[in-house]
Amino acid sequence: MKRLTRLMTGLACAAGIAAAPGHQALAAQVTLHVWTIDFENLNQYMFPLAKEFEKLHPDIKIDVKHVQFSDMNNDLARASITGDAPDVSYIDNPYIDLFRSRGLLLNLAPMIAKSKVIDLSKFYPGPLAAVKYGDKVYGIPRGANTLALYYNADMFKAAGLDPNKPPQTWPELYADAKKLTNPAKHVYGIAFSAVASEEGTFQFLPWIQMAGGDYDKLNTPNDVKALEFWQKLIDQKLASPDTLVRSQFDSTATFNAGNAAMVISGPWELPRMSKDAKFDYRVALLPTMTEGSPRVSALGEGDNVILKQSKHPKQAFEFLEYLNAQMPRVWNEWGFLPAERVTVQNPKWPADYKVFLAALKTARVRGPSPQWAQISQAIQTAIQSALTHQATAKQALDTAQSQVESIINQ
Amino acid sequence: MRGFGAFRDGRGFDITLVTLALAYLFVFAALPMLYTVVMSLQKIDMFTLGTLNRPFVGLRNYERVLHMPQAWRIARNTGIFVALSVLFQLLIGLALAMFFQQEFPGGSTLRGLFLAGWVMPALVVGAIWRWLLAGDFGVVNYLLASTGIVHNHIFWISDPHVALYSVIIANIWLGIPFNMLLLSVGLAAIPGDVYEAAAIDGAGRFSRFVFITLPLMRATLGAVVALSIIFTMQQYDLFAALTQGGPSNSSNVAQYWSWQLSFETYDISGGSVVAVLMIIVVILVAAIYVRSTRLEQRV
Repeated sequence: MKRLTRLMTGLACAAGIAAAPGHQALAAQVTLHVWTIDFENLNQYMFPLAKEFEKLHPDIKIDVKHVQFSDMNNDLARASITGDAPDVSYIDNPYIDLFRSRGLLLNLAPMIAKSKVIDLSKFYPGPLAAVKYGDKVYGIPRGANTLALYYNADMFKAAGLDPNKPPQTWPELYADAKKLTNPAKHVYGIAFSAVASEEGTFQFLPWIQMAGGDYDKLNTPNDVKALEFWQKLIDQKLASPDTLVRSQFDSTATFNAGNAAMVISGPWELPRMSKDAKFDYRVALLPTMTEGSPRVSALGEGDNVILKQSKHPKQAFEFLEYLNAQMPRVWNEWGFLPAERVTVQNPKWPADYKVFLAALKTARVRGPSPQWAQISQAIQTAIQSALTHQATAKQALDTAQSQVESIINQ
Repeated sequence: MRGFGAFRDGRGFDITLVTLALAYLFVFAALPMLYTVVMSLQKIDMFTLGTLNRPFVGLRNYERVLHMPQAWRIARNTGIFVALSVLFQLLIGLALAMFFQQEFPGGSTLRGLFLAGWVMPALVVGAIWRWLLAGDFGVVNYLLASTGIVHNHIFWISDPHVALYSVIIANIWLGIPFNMLLLSVGLAAIPGDVYEAAAIDGAGRFSRFVFITLPLMRATLGAVVALSIIFTMQQYDLFAALTQGGPSNSSNVAQYWSWQLSFETYDISGGSVVAVLMIIVVILVAAIYVRSTRLEQRV
């Protein structure tokens, strides 16, 4: 298809030249092929922005293709081998390193240095860490998301808790969850996701990081306490055992339905929650391990990259500049947090926006590591085997740690 | 004048037919299988898949995969999954086949309706079972609790002691119609006068089943068991829809693991190793199947 388009463009140009001999041919039109996880029918991010850009740059045509989130890495890898890779693509932030390490991404640093639009110093540290390797830059964060604690203020009141004082530390979270749990009414104190997928890692990693560990430092005594804390929530049925198989979306649905009094999830839930949740819900920062200990949240969303194979890096970069310039719009129009310091006019859900933005400032990229997929799987296995008591938290994390070490030293 | 008929009778035509069949098998069965074997001996991942940069590493991939901590658990799960699925599909399938052998009004229509489950895509079946078996709000738990059979909800999908059996239950349900159909054909092929003669000789229902039905069904049973084993080892969709092999591999089986290795962690070599080991098992089972169909021809 791509080749066909190129051929047609070529033919059209040739015909133009033939039809108007002696006339300078129009500047040849360039077509940029762009892959995204956005949906066209929902008018998400890439689709409307590509049309706006085309209007401003009549000589550049943008061909946007939707790829399923779960297929993106595989499809991009395959296309890179066969030479059919797009010019610009979305890559989820922990996987930049995978594609970078294979030499598939264009280093944008020289173009950024000359750019009047993109200013790296404005980006928050988390999103920037996902794309910046030394003095090289392999993508531009298109937005960000992160985790915080949603809570049902009505249930807080009913349980005799102060809805203006959401839990600040893990012990407070546990105590509140315990008070809010009501098996007779099918209410769990808290919902989160420990599912065996990247989502499980996304949810768990901030807890390990708040305890002082990280993906490559998983089994310190504090790390073990983090996993034991999750264990306690499931063991005492303060969270559903199905937490192990529920995605974040499914977990949040139980909160919206009034079957969980709190849920850990991200800003992408706000549109659905504002429709489904028939109660006073509020957002608070994730509680810290102890009072005053560091606060960490997760970093979600992805980056716009230019593939090294692209024949039109200049035009592709112009497109990236245009996308970046729209950062003040991403919250209100598509529900991502801005990945850099910009002023958002009249943000929707202003109170929640403020909390999530504060959480984003503490968000850390997962990894980075070129073997992120394998590392993430080792972490998921540790979470699941501990939560189901097939291993103690310590055994599970010891195993994960040695697996991660052997993956890194491969 | 030598016409088409002469051509069709000639040796050339025979050879053409054989060549066509062999070429088809070679291109669509042998080549992919050989390619998998080759990949299992190479160091290869998603990014080197299309390049020539894939060094041979001998059996090192096999060593690596078999030493992964989850390998034996997954092997054991696969054994349990196949054995229980095939056993219960066969028993229930045979019972239903014999039930429908009794002629009653609407019997053949009902037998046809039983196939409805079998023609449904396994992903859809999996999604329905996932909903039925949900821990907090599942239909099965609701029924069990309201009839007083259980007091605490069973977490069918998230309890590591139960998850594998949940998939087995769904798979048994999915495989029963196929077993029933093949076994019905086998039962119908047993001549009625054999039973009549036995009845006259004083054989009761039970001895007729043991001494006539079972021996005469031997070939059919062998074929059904072999096919069920092969189909069960191909069952991927139910795992994808129900448990994704979890929690922590407690319901993981070889066919799902192979996919996980190749497409979730981009370890194509590892995924190929598991696939090759499965091919060996399937070839053994297929050999039994071929033997039993040969017996069938003799009968």
